[in-house]
Amino acid sequence: MVQVFEGSHIFNYDFPTVSFAYLNRYPNPFAKHVLSIDTLDCKVDELGRLNTTRLIVKTGRLPSFIKPFLGSSLNSWIIEKTLIDPKTNQMCTYTSNIDHRKFIRVEEYLNYSSMSPSSTQVEMKVKFSSNFIGFKQKIEEWSHKRFSTNSANSREGLNYVISQLNDKKKLWMNANV
Amino acid sequence: MGNIMSASFAPECTDAKVKYDDCFNNWYSEKFLKGKSLENECTELWDEYITCVNTALAKQKIKPMLDKAREDQPFSKEEIQADVKEHYERTGK
Repeated sequence: MVQVFEGSHIFNYDFPTVSFAYLNRYPNPFAKHVLSIDTLDCKVDELGRLNTTRLIVKTGRLPSFIKPFLGSSLNSWIIEKTLIDPKTNQMCTYTSNIDHRKFIRVEEYLNYSSMSPSSTQVEMKVKFSSNFIGFKQKIEEWSHKRFSTNSANSREGLNYVISQLNDKKKLWMNANV
Repeated sequence: MGNIMSASFAPECTDAKVKYDDCFNNWYSEKFLKGKSLENECTELWDEYITCVNTALAKQKIKPMLDKAREDQPFSKEEIQADVKEHYERTGK
C-alpha cells in the first residue's frame, strides 16, 4: 500500500533566510515532540553543493494501532538528508523513519527554490508505504490526517524560527549602530 | 519556549553540538551561501562533536538500522527516475 500527498507553499522570505531557518528549525513551539537533532555528516561535493545527514529523535509518533507490535516503544528515530546548491539557491530535503520500516515507512521530500529576492517556494511530497495489508484502511486514515497537521505545523514552525531570526538580527544591528 | 537549546540525543554531546552548530551557522550564512568558501571551517569543533556522537550511537540498538538508512540515496538519478515512473503509473500523466 502506497499513499502519496503533495502540496506547495510560498514563504515571503529570501532563500538564505528560509534555508537557514530550515537547518535550525528545532526547537520550536510547533514541534514539541522533537527531542533532539544531530548532524552525522556534512560535506561539500564536487559540484559545490552542501550534503548533510542528520538524525532526529521524536517522541512516539507512530499510530497507536501499531503499538501492540512494538512493545512499549518509545521514540521514533528519523533520518534527514539535505542537499543545498548555493549557486541555484535550491535545497532538497528528505526525511524518513529509521525503525519500524516493516510496519510503515514515511518519506518526505521537500524542494525549496528561490522565486524572487523576497520569496521562496517549497514543494512537498510525502509518501506512506506499508506492507501490512490488514492495516490498509487505518493507515490511510492516519496518514491523511498526519499529512495535513504535519504540513501546517512545519510551516508554522518555520515561520516562527524566521521571526526569531529577524528579531535577533534587529538586536544585533541595534547593538552595532 | 524559543530559548530552549537545541539538544543532542546524547546529553553529554549537547555542549559540543551547540559549539559546532554556532560555527556551522556562521560559516553557512556568511561564507557558503555567499560563495566565499567551499570548505566547512569548523573541523576542530566537528571532530570533538562527532566523536562524542559516534561513541554514544555505538551503544544504541538503533545503530544497525541507522547505518542502513544512511545508505538511502534520495537525490540520486535512479531515485528521481523511479519517482517519475511512479508518478506516471499513479496518475497516467
